Amino acid sequence: MMSKLIFGRFIPGNSVIHRMDPRAKLLLSFYFIGIIFIANNWPTYVVLFAFTFAAIALSGVKWSFFINGVKPLIWLILFTVILQVLFSSGGGQVYWKWGIITISQFGLINGVYIFCRFVLIIFMSTLLTLTTPPLELSDAIEYILMPLKAVRFPVYEVALMLSIALRFVPTLMDETEKIMNAQRARGVDFGEGNIFQQMRAVVPLLIPLFVSSFNRAEDLATAMEARGYQGGEGRSKFRVLKWHNRDTWATVIFVILTGVLVYLRA
Amino acid sequence: MSPIIDVEHLNYRYPQQAADQLTLTDISFSVAPGEWVAVVGHNGSGKSTLAKNLNGLLAPESGTITVAGQVLSAETVWDVRRQIGMVFQNPDNQFVGATVEDDVAFSLENQGIPRDEMLTRVAQALKQVNMQDFATREPARLSGGQKQRVALAGMIAARPRILILDEATSMLDPQGRAEVLQTIRAMKANSELTVLSITHDIDEAASANRILVINDGHLEEAGTPAEIFAHGEALINLGLDMPYAERLKAALKRQGVQVPTSYLTEKGMADWLWQLRSNK
Amino acid sequence: MAITFKQVDFTYQPGTPFETKALTDINVTIPTGSYTALIGHTGSGKSTLLQHLNALLKPTKGTVTIGKRVITPETSNKDLKRLRQHVGIVFQFPESQLFEETVAKDIAFGPQNFGKSEAEAMQIAEQMLALVGLDRALLTRSPFDLSGGQMRRVAIAGVLAMQPDVLVLDEPTAGLDPQGRLEMMEMFARLRHERDLTVVLVTHQMDDVANYADNVIVMDRGQVVKTGTPREIFKDPQWLVKHQLGLPKTTAFAHELQAAGWQFKQLPLTEDELAEEIAAQLPPQAFGGDPAK
Repeated sequence: MMSKLIFGRFIPGNSVIHRMDPRAKLLLSFYFIGIIFIANNWPTYVVLFAFTFAAIALSGVKWSFFINGVKPLIWLILFTVILQVLFSSGGGQVYWKWGIITISQFGLINGVYIFCRFVLIIFMSTLLTLTTPPLELSDAIEYILMPLKAVRFPVYEVALMLSIALRFVPTLMDETEKIMNAQRARGVDFGEGNIFQQMRAVVPLLIPLFVSSFNRAEDLATAMEARGYQGGEGRSKFRVLKWHNRDTWATVIFVILTGVLVYLRA
Repeated sequence: MSPIIDVEHLNYRYPQQAADQLTLTDISFSVAPGEWVAVVGHNGSGKSTLAKNLNGLLAPESGTITVAGQVLSAETVWDVRRQIGMVFQNPDNQFVGATVEDDVAFSLENQGIPRDEMLTRVAQALKQVNMQDFATREPARLSGGQKQRVALAGMIAARPRILILDEATSMLDPQGRAEVLQTIRAMKANSELTVLSITHDIDEAASANRILVINDGHLEEAGTPAEIFAHGEALINLGLDMPYAERLKAALKRQGVQVPTSYLTEKGMADWLWQLRSNK
Repeated sequence: MAITFKQVDFTYQPGTPFETKALTDINVTIPTGSYTALIGHTGSGKSTLLQHLNALLKPTKGTVTIGKRVITPETSNKDLKRLRQHVGIVFQFPESQLFEETVAKDIAFGPQNFGKSEAEAMQIAEQMLALVGLDRALLTRSPFDLSGGQMRRVAIAGVLAMQPDVLVLDEPTAGLDPQGRLEMMEMFARLRHERDLTVVLVTHQMDDVANYADNVIVMDRGQVVKTGTPREIFKDPQWLVKHQLGLPKTTAFAHELQAAGWQFKQLPLTEDELAEEIAAQLPPQAFGGDPAK
């Protein structure tokens, strides 16, 4: 069920992209989403696609993962594209008109552009999550949040919470499956019947899950205390992020890409 | 030699319990440095409560606990915790780090140890528990026994003088159990580590120098494994499995064979039987 | 009720990049009325096989016949419920499945899902609680106020309440103390006779296999590598070591005695069998008798 979701999964590897600093990857991914909006004609989109494909090729991750990343969102994308095509005030040649619905040349072109933007955003963010372990992402977020320490935001505590939450995701998924199996063996049908029946079926799953999570939390707190955890102050850090030359180069490449886009845009 | 753990007249009561309902009643004992002491008793006898009192996770109602010369109090509790490494029952619920090496480093981070030193200590500790190839693995991809070995590596890295095992092997399969026990024996051989293991496992209890029997919150008995194991069939009432030789002895008795009352190891049993047979 | 596997393969997440094959060409039968032990080291495929016993998983190839129902890869998920009533599974640490406000309601949950009225289900709950050796005063208590051992018994009562023909036990004694383990295993032996059950026991405890089972299935790397009686399985220690399995304590000790020169008519599995064989070879004075006699 959940295992079919590609987004948010990490595929281990040793490519340049894998080895990049997660801060660079996170910030540059956001930056990329920003500069997509510079593109407004065919040459700029071609450059963006070429760039994205090159990045994917560098990562060594199979193409099928990216296609699978788009699949669950395809209806949302198509819906947006169709809206754009049908309702854009448009310009250029009008092919068809009925009331407020118009299919025009510009509308069609805009629809294709929007489709491209979606695909580019999904490909790039999928590339980020497939090549960066969630833990490194949480390290990157911690680093990016660091300035908030000035306003007494508990950055260390939040970072530890995030890393513990990530660490327990697979444990809780296993637990969910186990409890579902146990209740199915006692005659519960998950995902069948009307909405009320389905809601009722969730109770025998959620209560045990809560109980076990609270037990785990208590055990974990005890273990952490026994190992000398007294809050974020005075702790040293085992995990450090290293900014390499490749990260600087990646940044430079993105700046050049921005220049190229600005030059080529209409 | 002065004891490394000294417990005097310890009483403990959980906050929700009535005044006359103590979980631990007047417990006194001491442990010498380098000793391996097993604590046995039924589920619910108060063994784990005792362990949690020793490093201040629970505060006693009365009595004194002295660890490595320091009397346990609100002021000394963090120092005492540094002296004691504790491995709990559920391998998943004590794995704090997102990867093996992060988890091993957790205690060191808490102590504010510089990163360079952490790197060497973590690598060394993982090597000692034979998990060096798993340093960057996530816990979800480890077996229970491997997770417990990582927990032990965390202890090795933090270098406590006392190791408390709170049923650390009870949720493992036989292979995992054997690996963890072997690791503990190796740790003990490498340093003057004091071990206090709370257990139902007969092999673990047999590794100890001394066994304390807790029953219904009281320290009922203390003795060497041979002394305690000589209880034979009564052992199961103490929350311990019977050693195999004792089980066989009981079965021989049912056959009418006259058996010795003292405890026999398996080897001792085999020798005794052979002699008996040749004695025609 | 017998369960038969024919050429069963099972693959997790087929057709995805995370595809893993868990079972390969399983051909095995769990006969009606047997006490079958399913053994194999961690990761050998035991739990995947177990989930086929009541169609929580369907084979990706081959067929599983449960009583008269044949489960194939194409079997629809609908209507599997009735089948699940006949095969009760007690999962590892079953106390984690408790959720109701009272013990009675929790035990009655299964029967109600299978169409019993509330009154009938409550009546069954009361019987089942007695069957697992708990006091009826517990019926109105919250299951979360009980001790670990009691919670486990309540969960087992909840499975028995469906009145299954086959009872599947996945390491039912894990985490209990020795006395609790012994009581639990004796309880299953008693239930088997009282309720005429077919029992499937997944375990790492070879002593339990020797003491209780009459049929053993050994798994390794997703395959069934041997089936037979406990005596057949335990006669070859080297073979067991190769598959990362141990011996019952008695059998291990008997092999040691054999190496020292003892001879046994048949391989002893329990300490009473061994004691009997030993006693037969001892001189009279070992029994306190007079050697001259």
